[in-house]
This record gives sequence, structure tokens and C-alpha cells, in this order.
Amino acid sequence: MKKNIYLLAASLFISSALIAQTSLPSIDKSPLDVSYYPLRYPNLKAQDKITEPPAARVIYSRPKKEDRNIFGGLVEYGKLWRLGANEATEIEFYKPVLIGGKKIAKGRYTLYAIVNDKSWTFIVNKETDIWGSFKYNEAKDVVRVESPVQTLNEPVESLAITFEKDSNVINLVVAWENTKVALPISL
Amino acid sequence: MKKVKISLALFLFLVIGITCKPKQKEEPVDTALKKPDTLIMQSPEIPANTYSSVDISPMDMSYYPVDYPKIKMANAAVPPPVARVIYSRPQLQRRPLFNGIIKYNEHWRLGANEASEINFYKDVIIQRKKIKAGRYIIYGIPQEDSWTIILNSNIDSWGLKQDTTKDVGRFNIPVSTNGTSLEYFTMVFEKSETGANLVIAWADVVAKLPIAF
Repeated sequence: MKKNIYLLAASLFISSALIAQTSLPSIDKSPLDVSYYPLRYPNLKAQDKITEPPAARVIYSRPKKEDRNIFGGLVEYGKLWRLGANEATEIEFYKPVLIGGKKIAKGRYTLYAIVNDKSWTFIVNKETDIWGSFKYNEAKDVVRVESPVQTLNEPVESLAITFEKDSNVINLVVAWENTKVALPISL
Repeated sequence: MKKVKISLALFLFLVIGITCKPKQKEEPVDTALKKPDTLIMQSPEIPANTYSSVDISPMDMSYYPVDYPKIKMANAAVPPPVARVIYSRPQLQRRPLFNGIIKYNEHWRLGANEASEINFYKDVIIQRKKIKAGRYIIYGIPQEDSWTIILNSNIDSWGLKQDTTKDVGRFNIPVSTNGTSLEYFTMVFEKSETGANLVIAWADVVAKLPIAF
């Protein structure tokens, strides 16, 4: 009898947890995050410290390294990578920009990369609101740019995508494990 | 029987305790912009680097149709989505929600960190008011038995400071209690007869903003 009650209680608990998960989502293992250029734009705006309008923002999910071998392991060389997890990584430009010498209209795009040992190929693609890179459609590519791989001294645990200013361009920087790669964007 | 109840309660308590254990480190935020709906974590487990660590109140997004990106993955010819909300998800962490984390009759940012934003991919109607397609921020004013939900055009702003001169619409909606308690603040869409509801839920309260299209 006791055993039955335990089983019933356990199954009720598990099923209610499952129901709760279907309708109301639990926290993602690879949480979403946003980066703006200028960096922390919303935060600066709240403090009246804005010196320039927002130029770009990236919305991406942040998988963790968790002792795994990332580049050349989890992320295979020569294959398309979604630069994140879950929903495809999205970049929004608030005004027209130049990437790889090509004029990119303002708007939302999806970012992918083909990762290799010495360099990555960044892909800016017009298909938005999609999941991962599983249905990547090359016909919707806007531009492809190859960038060299740089090495970081300190490892990055959670995939990070941010912007760094470098004289006349801003670099979209992707950092994970001991790797850093920059996609130059001219404003 | 009593023993069973006690051990079950203990079991649930343990499970909740374990699953709610915070693991992440908070990104440094100016103290002026801190509020108790985001906790400060001690003893970070993640090695220091120049790139930001994961937020203690992680961001999340919900689409309508629900799981739209997955639907699109299965069928590229699907029509565009209707709405998307992007918000940060603070946790209760054993604190009371009302008159604890948030207060009645005060602005509540419906999230944490950056202002929560809602994107309509086409014109919609909320309580007879036409809302044009585009991006808005969303915040609220909770009262005991109803909430005011506000759409505002001051996008790309921080959640704690609202410019009410940019309010686009204010909508009063009823609030009800839910049987279970939600650890994380949650916003999702659900299908309704006239379109979709934006379901806003935390602790044991739920409010639904009806969106017609």
C-alpha cells in the first residue's frame, strides 16, 4: 500500500512537472542573451549616457563548454555551425552597414559560420525566425566573409558574442573555449 | 500515511531545492540600475575572462505561433509569425513575489535587465486598440486583482526606467492564481478564440493579455 502511494505520488509529481514544462517553459540549458553596439546600449540609455544611436545587436543562445572539446570536436571543422543553440542566432542592423565590402540593408539577419582550424567563414543569411542551422538555405545568403582564428589565453566557458570597436570598424566577436574570431562591420 | 506525506513533502522540497540551485554568475551592472528582482551571486564557478558570463536572470524568447522557429524548420513555406517576446527570467529564490520582489501599484518591468520587448510582425488589436506591426517594450503595474499592461515605444531601453510619454497603449487585465508555483518568471503565448494570449506567469499568479489578429 505504502509502495503504491509512493509510486502514485512520484508519477503525479513527474507528470505535473512534464505538463508544467510543455505549457510554461523551464529555463534553457543554453540561455539566450543579447549584445548591443554600442556595448550595453540599453543600460547607457537609462543613465542618459548615450553618445551614438544603436548600430547593431545580436541575440543568441549560450551553450557551455562543460569540459568538452569544442572546436574540432563538438563543432566539427568544415561544417556549418549555428553559432549558438536553440533559435538561430540573429543579428539586427539599425542602419545600412558594410560587411566584406558589401552593403547590407538595415534589418534582421541570421548568422552562421563554417569553422576551421585557422579561419572561419561567417555567413549572413536572410532567413530569420528559424531554429538552428538544420534547414540552412544557401540561396538566402547575403554575404560570406572569411576571418582568421585568434587564440585567447583565458578560456571562455559560455559562448560569448559581443562587439569590439577597432578604429573605423566594429568587430562582431565570437569567443568560446580558447578561440576568438572577429567579423568586421563598417558603419 | 502521515509518514508518507512528510517524506513526500521532504522529497519535493529537496527536488525543488536542488533544481533551483543557482549556478550562474551575474554580469556586472551599475549599482544604480540594480533592483531586488535580480540577485547577486557569490563565489562564481566560471573562470574569469574578458567576455561576459551568463546572466543570473537568463534571457528567453517565445513566439506565436508557439515554437514558430521549429515549425519553420519543418516547413520553410510557413507564413510569417505573429508575435515574439524577448525577456529575462528572474527567479523567486524563496522570496515572496508581491510586496517582496515587486510591489502593488508600482511599475514592474516584467523581467530583468534589458526592458522586455514584444515584436508584432503584423498589425494586431488589443482591447479594441489597433497596435501597428513593430517592436515595443512591455511593462506592467500589478494590483491585487488586476494588472495594467503597457506597451511603450522606447525600445532598446533598460527595464528599470520607463518613459511614460512613449506609452502606446495601457490595458487592464484580470489576474488569477494558478495551483502551482513557478520559480522562474515566464511569458509565453497561447492560442485563443480571437488570436492569442500573452500569458504572464510567476509564483502562483497568471495574467493573460488578449491579442486579436
